[in-house]
Amino acid sequence: MSKIKTCVSLYSLQDEYLNKRMSLEDIMWFVKESKAEGVEILPDQMLHGAPDISDETLERWNKIIKETELKPVIADVFLNTNIYKNRELTHKECVELLVKEIKQADKLGIRLIRLVSMVPYWVLEPLLPYCEQYNVTVALEIHAAMAFDIQETREFIEEMKRLNSTYIGLVIDTGIFCRRFPRVVKKYELNNGASKEMFDYIDALFEKGTDFHKERKKNDGKFPEDFMKTMKTEEDHMFAHLCDGYENYSYDILDEYMPYIKHFHLKLFEMTEEGPEYSMDYKGLLQYLHEHNYDGYVATEYEGNRFTLPGTPMAEKEQVSANQKYIRECLKEIQG
Amino acid sequence: MFDNNVFLDDSCKNVVENGSVIGYEMQTNITYYRGIPLSMIEYIRVSKDGDDEPLENIIISIDKIDWFTLKEAETVTSYKWEYGEPLYIRILEEGGLSKGTHKIKLTVATRTAYIPVPLEGSKERIVEI
Repeated sequence: MSKIKTCVSLYSLQDEYLNKRMSLEDIMWFVKESKAEGVEILPDQMLHGAPDISDETLERWNKIIKETELKPVIADVFLNTNIYKNRELTHKECVELLVKEIKQADKLGIRLIRLVSMVPYWVLEPLLPYCEQYNVTVALEIHAAMAFDIQETREFIEEMKRLNSTYIGLVIDTGIFCRRFPRVVKKYELNNGASKEMFDYIDALFEKGTDFHKERKKNDGKFPEDFMKTMKTEEDHMFAHLCDGYENYSYDILDEYMPYIKHFHLKLFEMTEEGPEYSMDYKGLLQYLHEHNYDGYVATEYEGNRFTLPGTPMAEKEQVSANQKYIRECLKEIQG
Repeated sequence: MFDNNVFLDDSCKNVVENGSVIGYEMQTNITYYRGIPLSMIEYIRVSKDGDDEPLENIIISIDKIDWFTLKEAETVTSYKWEYGEPLYIRILEEGGLSKGTHKIKLTVATRTAYIPVPLEGSKERIVEI
């Protein structure tokens, strides 16, 4: 029996926060009103001084959690391996930074950490005693363009399997399940001077059931010749490198990893007026998770904010609400 | 992608110290979606009326108390540029901006560990002195 629960990542409301239209308190109450059960936070985004937060910040956080009764589900953690310009951090320094994050998560009442993609596998074994001591799980994000076919991800998965601990796992970002290229990204880039032909090429790949990441991979990581022909403007050359961040995996890629999956990011580019997200079939994914007895949260992660056309109002709140409503309806139908 | 974060509106003005204009200053939000130490600023560039300002004339601060040159900032890991809080950028130039209208362009780039290219944002503003 699945136990799929709803959550909102505060990443979704970053523009409201950046431009001081909403405080952390306002945002948490908004999440509560959206009827989500849990909340996901990027400490580096909305908690000053992280991972060395002050007692005052901690008290403020505890107060909001107590008042809203939101479950603090997961902290999104980054590893600044390149904090210095002239060298990479040593293994010891990397582990020390992540130990701080584990201790901070514990203080915040959070039991799960999302490690950003590309975090090296060798941090896991030294971190494990801290995970056990503080009862905090660490899970690598599987994100489009940095997913199962990338060496760093494969190494992490291998180490995760070798260590075989309940404190190590994966977070899946549903940007790996795009069935169409997000049209908000396309519109934004066209407005910036990118060529329509470039997107026609990518759209055609999705129509064939594949994606640009796979095509590029098949071509030894280089841009395919037909794609190169579509690149005309300066913007094309800039954006071309970001085109493979939208992948088209089938859900059964998860079969092997279900025992390790701790959390999902429901990547959101655009909730359509008809209900579903434009690029991703959440209902199909939730059905898959139900059939595989997933017990965990699925968190709205709105990223269309980044692709809002100049002069167009930011729709973070509307998109999050629409997403939560849709997910709730899907779950009611699927889980009863 | 982060152009909208750069160069806060109405933030550019001359800086007066002890009765003389020592340069000009502007504020910017971060070109990223989280806070990072100052050492992770990859580069900052300022141009005035089409001419690049010398990098050695640029100093930055998160609190307007402690200021760092761009070169010094490369090793500053205990001052964090928070998301949603401005970075103050000063261009030390005797006399600052002359009376009239200027085109000031600010470019900011930050480093991340998992994206191979820096996250850049740029904005030009017309500044009236």
